[in-house]
Amino acid sequence: MRNLFKIQKKIFTLTLIIIITFSLTSCNKKQDSDNSDTRKNIEFIVKMRSGDYWATVQMGANDAAKEFNVNMNFIAPDNELDIEGQKKLVNEAIDKKVDAIVLSASDYEKMAEVVNNAAANKIPVVLVDSGVNSDKSVSFISTDNVKAGKLAGEKLIENVGKNSKVAILSFVEGSENAINREKGIIDVLSNYPNVKLVAKEYCGSNEAMAKSLTKSIISMDNGLNGIVALNSAAALGAARALEELGLSGKIKLITFDSTILELQYVEKGVIQGTVVQNPFKMGYLGVKYAAMSARGNKVPKDENIDLKVIDKYNIYNPENQRFIFPFTK
Amino acid sequence: MKRISEKLSEYLDFKSIRFIITVSFACITVIAMIFMGILLSGKYSKASEQNVALSTMHVIEQVSLNLDNYEKSMVYITNIIERNINNAPQLPNSRLEEKLDVIFDTRDDIVSIAIFTNKGKLVEGTPFSKLKKDAKVTEEEWFYRGILNSNTTFLSAPHVENLFDGKYNWVLSLSKPVSFYYEGKMTQGVLLIDINFNSIEQLCQKVNLGKSGYIYILDSKNNIIYHPQQELIYNGLKSENNEEAYKNTYGTFKQKVNNEERLLTIKNVGYTDWKVVAISYMDELTTTKSSLTNFSIIILLLAIVFVITIFIFISAKITKPIKQLDESMKLVEEGDLDVKVDIKGDKEVVHLSRSFNLMIANIKQLMHQIVIEQESKRKSELDALQAQINPHFLYNTLDSIVWMAENGKSQDVITMVTSLARFFRISISRGKNIIYVREELEHAKNYLIIQKIRYKSKFNFCIEAEDEILQYKTLKLIIQPIIENALYHGIEYMVEEGFIKITAKKVEEKLLFEIQDNGLGMKAEVLENILSYTFNNKGGGSGVGVKNVHERIQLIFGREYGLEIESELEEGTTVRIYLPLFKDEEYEKFI
Repeated sequence: MRNLFKIQKKIFTLTLIIIITFSLTSCNKKQDSDNSDTRKNIEFIVKMRSGDYWATVQMGANDAAKEFNVNMNFIAPDNELDIEGQKKLVNEAIDKKVDAIVLSASDYEKMAEVVNNAAANKIPVVLVDSGVNSDKSVSFISTDNVKAGKLAGEKLIENVGKNSKVAILSFVEGSENAINREKGIIDVLSNYPNVKLVAKEYCGSNEAMAKSLTKSIISMDNGLNGIVALNSAAALGAARALEELGLSGKIKLITFDSTILELQYVEKGVIQGTVVQNPFKMGYLGVKYAAMSARGNKVPKDENIDLKVIDKYNIYNPENQRFIFPFTK
Repeated sequence: MKRISEKLSEYLDFKSIRFIITVSFACITVIAMIFMGILLSGKYSKASEQNVALSTMHVIEQVSLNLDNYEKSMVYITNIIERNINNAPQLPNSRLEEKLDVIFDTRDDIVSIAIFTNKGKLVEGTPFSKLKKDAKVTEEEWFYRGILNSNTTFLSAPHVENLFDGKYNWVLSLSKPVSFYYEGKMTQGVLLIDINFNSIEQLCQKVNLGKSGYIYILDSKNNIIYHPQQELIYNGLKSENNEEAYKNTYGTFKQKVNNEERLLTIKNVGYTDWKVVAISYMDELTTTKSSLTNFSIIILLLAIVFVITIFIFISAKITKPIKQLDESMKLVEEGDLDVKVDIKGDKEVVHLSRSFNLMIANIKQLMHQIVIEQESKRKSELDALQAQINPHFLYNTLDSIVWMAENGKSQDVITMVTSLARFFRISISRGKNIIYVREELEHAKNYLIIQKIRYKSKFNFCIEAEDEILQYKTLKLIIQPIIENALYHGIEYMVEEGFIKITAKKVEEKLLFEIQDNGLGMKAEVLENILSYTFNNKGGGSGVGVKNVHERIQLIFGREYGLEIESELEEGTTVRIYLPLFKDEEYEKFI
């Protein structure tokens, strides 16, 4: 009988131990799962530090970083021409073993190598705004720049008529966005045989250079009717030049992007129309997809961001307001 | 270890009372506990849901109160400005302008204050005094609503400030109709105060509704006035399901968005037709619920272990005496009737054990009685057998007598008849079982005389006895069967002359009859079996076998007495009969 009691004691202690270990391990598991879900580190590398466009991208990125619970580091080389600088940033991110990279590539060809490098290190790369010549990225979030170019071209024709001379003020030679926007514009212009493209210049995303280039184009050919500026720097330079020359409204200006200064020029009538992308959405989706792929989820391979053409008549539509004026917080 | 496993398997015997008690009680308890647990956790989750709804309602009321207060303060400001406008004799007025500047400076949530005529002309404004070139004041909602809504204030949805050259702030426009003298005429106009959207945001931001809960504000047309992720909503990256909010002005609802259950709480803001909507996520509730469930499962498991252990002890206590009884019964089954159980415990069990003891005692007594009865029965049987005289012996003897008479051997006839008569007299002995040793020896001698004549002196015999011995008593007719045996099996087949020697003496306070012959002897296996009860005596003889003699002696006097046989082939056999040494009066103690 005593023996039996001993056994009962043994059984009791055994079950007790089992239960305690079970509960402890279950607690540990919980902690483990919490730890495994630690905040992912995402490196957001854009083309340059300054500019309203990138500021808005960053706002979207910040919102997404908060919502998807990731650490996001928003960096860029000093200017858009510094391709080596951007390469270095990507390579540093790879060395840091970040969980994902969001990249807006400065150069279609030259940045392909680092994107492949990141993919080889099993770091997912989400491309936003401008892509690279590589299929190793997990997602490409962009505006359809050809379509943007077409919209700009149509708006130009609407303003200058079918018999006119126009110029294109582009930003960086070789940039994929520039190439595609030009292509869209030229596609539209080719439908109008009497519209002549008299000049195409690259300002290197530099406002002052854009201004002087605009002035020189105008001085070269007095019959110029319209200019298409392919990004905000080019647009502001051109607008300043037109304002200084007293040619506001006389030489029509079609631009891209929606910085506050550009919008003011739209209201003043210096800029007749601007093709607006949605940089906020781009930044937001960039971080969202990066966070998702860092956690091993599938993301859409290609995402096109909607476009709008804004002029002084539709700028304050409730819908457009929301589209172009960021909520400053 | 082996013992432990044995005990364990014994315990796990599914049919044992102990197992049944433990398992059934444990099952009942566990089911009851689980039932209670489910009931309680259901109650708890309901209560916590109500709690969340209540606290959300509380939060929302706070927010709406704050908004209300804010609006009231703004309305208060418009009233002050209106009074000042009414006091001014004519607009524009420098004193009014100063007042407006003061108000503008003290309130950093005001983006601009402006007064317009009913034609949309700017009369007075701070900090901006000039409209944008293309501003179309009369098309603005606040303007025509302000003119129409006589004497009430109108509050617009958030929009981008678009009248003055500024930073494109997001503002809410508060408008109120005013009347004043302008260019010498009494004119209807509109007072406009643009409020920075941030101020509304600040009122709603500090709200805490769990980890991911939040609030947002809707206007009467279901436009979102404020949302913590307004930018995402404006960019179409997020949307809210406002169906419930549109239909109801107050209450708590459940809705499912992206597979997440959430609690929707709606409240109207007093002054305007805005609605504050609070979202709290049910899965946050359920996480606390699941942690509670986990906790209660652990408690439950511990309780189950505890209960089972308790029941193991209790059932052991209950079944211990039953088990003891069971074990005693097993001993009884094996034939041990000296078992006595002494069990302390429940009344019933004590009673049972007493009954058990009583029963065993009865059985024992009955068994004893049966043995005695059987023995006496057997004894009388054997006595009866003993008293029988083999009829063949009588025929043969009588034949011999006739034969001798015919041959005129009258001396022999006399001897034989005399011997026969003595033989029978002693055999019968007036029905007595016990006779003197002398008589027994006489009986043997007469038998031997008869047989010697019949066997034509094929053998010789002698009988020796101590004088003292002759006075003792003995069981009758015990030597004759031995002699018969010796003659039929030992001497009859001998070639030379046989010899039988009978000795009676006292050895170690016992009476000993020794019957020796020099016959053929017996084989060892025959010798071995001759006294055992299994031996089947098929030999002829007087019908009263050696075995019966042995049995009779032992039945009457006990196992220490009886026959002892020594035998060697071709050498002869010695049979020793041991009997107790007793005289007449002492015989009673054996019966």
